[in-house]
Amino acid sequence: MSSRRSRQAAGVSRISDDQIIELVAKLRQLLPEIRDRRPQKVSASKVLQETCNYIRSLHREVDDLSERLSQLLSTIDADSPEAAIIRSLIM
Amino acid sequence: MNHCVPDFEFDDDHSIPTSSVLNRPRKSAMAEEDVMELLWQNGPVVLHNQNQRSLKKSQPSFPADQSAPREIPSSHHHQQEQQDHLFMQEDEMASWLHYPLNDTNFDSDFCTDLLYPAPCITSTTTTTATATATPPVRATRVRDSRPQLNTATTVASAPPLRPPIPPPPRRTENFGLFARHMPREVASGPSNSKSVTIRESTVVDSSDTPAPGPDSRASEAMRSMEGASGVNNNNRCRNTSGAGAAATSSGGGGGSSGARDLTMCEMTVTSSPGGSSASAEPPAQKPAAEDRKRKGRETDDEYHSEDVELESADAKKQSRGSTSAKRSRAAEVHNLSERRRRDRINEKMRALQELIPRCNKSDKASMLDEAIEYLKALQLQVQMMSVGCGVVPMMFPGVQQYMPNMGMGIGMGMGMGMGMDMGMSRPMMPFPNVLAGSAMPTPAAAAHLGPRFPMPPFHMPPVPGPDPSRVQAANHSDPMFNSFGMQNPNQARASNFVDPYQQYLALHRMQLPLQQNQSMVQPNASKPSTSKGAENRENPENHPSV
Repeated sequence: MSSRRSRQAAGVSRISDDQIIELVAKLRQLLPEIRDRRPQKVSASKVLQETCNYIRSLHREVDDLSERLSQLLSTIDADSPEAAIIRSLIM
Repeated sequence: MNHCVPDFEFDDDHSIPTSSVLNRPRKSAMAEEDVMELLWQNGPVVLHNQNQRSLKKSQPSFPADQSAPREIPSSHHHQQEQQDHLFMQEDEMASWLHYPLNDTNFDSDFCTDLLYPAPCITSTTTTTATATATPPVRATRVRDSRPQLNTATTVASAPPLRPPIPPPPRRTENFGLFARHMPREVASGPSNSKSVTIRESTVVDSSDTPAPGPDSRASEAMRSMEGASGVNNNNRCRNTSGAGAAATSSGGGGGSSGARDLTMCEMTVTSSPGGSSASAEPPAQKPAAEDRKRKGRETDDEYHSEDVELESADAKKQSRGSTSAKRSRAAEVHNLSERRRRDRINEKMRALQELIPRCNKSDKASMLDEAIEYLKALQLQVQMMSVGCGVVPMMFPGVQQYMPNMGMGIGMGMGMGMGMDMGMSRPMMPFPNVLAGSAMPTPAAAAHLGPRFPMPPFHMPPVPGPDPSRVQAANHSDPMFNSFGMQNPNQARASNFVDPYQQYLALHRMQLPLQQNQSMVQPNASKPSTSKGAENRENPENHPSV
């Protein structure tokens, strides 16, 4: 029924929907927790939620790592190549 | 400010006149607004500052949809205004995904209803709504997710509901919806229905927090409210829908507002017993089509509306006949759940959009694309940083051997990251240069260190395993090492890394002929400068066990 409707609805929207489905699948693959139990949940809502959470956690991790790197930077002499590396990592 | 908050128990009959103020426990956690109180009265959440308590107009008809305690996915500002704000969310992504209906947790997902100030909406509504005075804007459960978006629209929707039209109480309302859909679709364009909706939503978001998003749940709220009234709602909806349609077409620029109005109209229509399902406004042809074809009576009511609709469906049932009523009711329920799902998804999309920096895409597909890229870039960045953290402590002469390998690998990854996220890329460019300059025993070191190299869990897609990656890195760097001197490699490498995709492709290519690479590595090992070569030889002994 819904498929029929959608078919009638518009070809364009269907194409977009397919794209979206594909993107959601891609996104799902990137998410660590969902990746393993993929078959279970294919809910777009869940994927989006997990993505948001994951991005937030990655942000936190990046901040944390930056913190650590800057601490490391302080412990070594600033002219060494390592320092340059660290600085580049911290951005 | 929160006094006796009966936690989101919105039972239908639960009316909390005085203690209607419902703090949003969840929301407050994330939300910033302390002043806002979510009044949960019988379902519709009235958000206001403890003053207006009495909003409870909405009849307990719709159970507070589970949504009340929904945590707000993203931080938005909740508009907390007086109670009578109907929050309407436009269901722009009606045809969001053709997944099977996952009515898993409507309850948990729904955001607490926020009440948005009616005045804001009224302004918008005036444009669209011919409806005069609709029943009090009950705080319909507005989805939290779109705090930025909603409010205004929702509120607007409420007022428009007014004009009760005497027309037939049947599903003719949908007719009005159809009219509405048409202009909407036309305005949005064939393929942009979704984008339009999204665009509107995004526009709304960016424009103003209080700006009600295209998804105005107000209509829903209204619907719920109206639902009780039954036929009258239909009539009203029709009028409003007409107005909405007109508004939409005219206010194409106004975009969101128009959409909002539409939504509102739609909502109202939907509220009408079973008839008006066309809630989704611009959402896309699909919703329109669905509305049109699926069921005249289907109403895309969201949370509340579902209840309301159900009730109205019941009413209809009696009037029409059991079978048709059942069918319509089932369709309504289905529609409702579908709509809810869509709304949830939309919410999340918006939240995601907020998280992604420099995301100005209004199109869902492109936004998802950007989200994917950004996620990859973030993962890459985190990997590199953790590698850096792990390596830096070991960055002593003995460790240098590792660097080139990692540098190469990292450089490649960084190249990719650079492509994706310019913010991250630039600072990282020197990285491989530094590494290359400092130590060039790459090829030999790579070969030697293969087994012992504590390669961090690089998730770089093309890297099948530590050895191949190292080999590739070595190969990749070989030409540079060989062709350039100590200084040149820095620049050459930089240029090589600039193009992430080329690196990516190169990495892929290198993966294939592993055998050749390995054989090549050995001979190349001899090429690097003798000093480094000496280092290479020393390195294996020096490298710290990791």
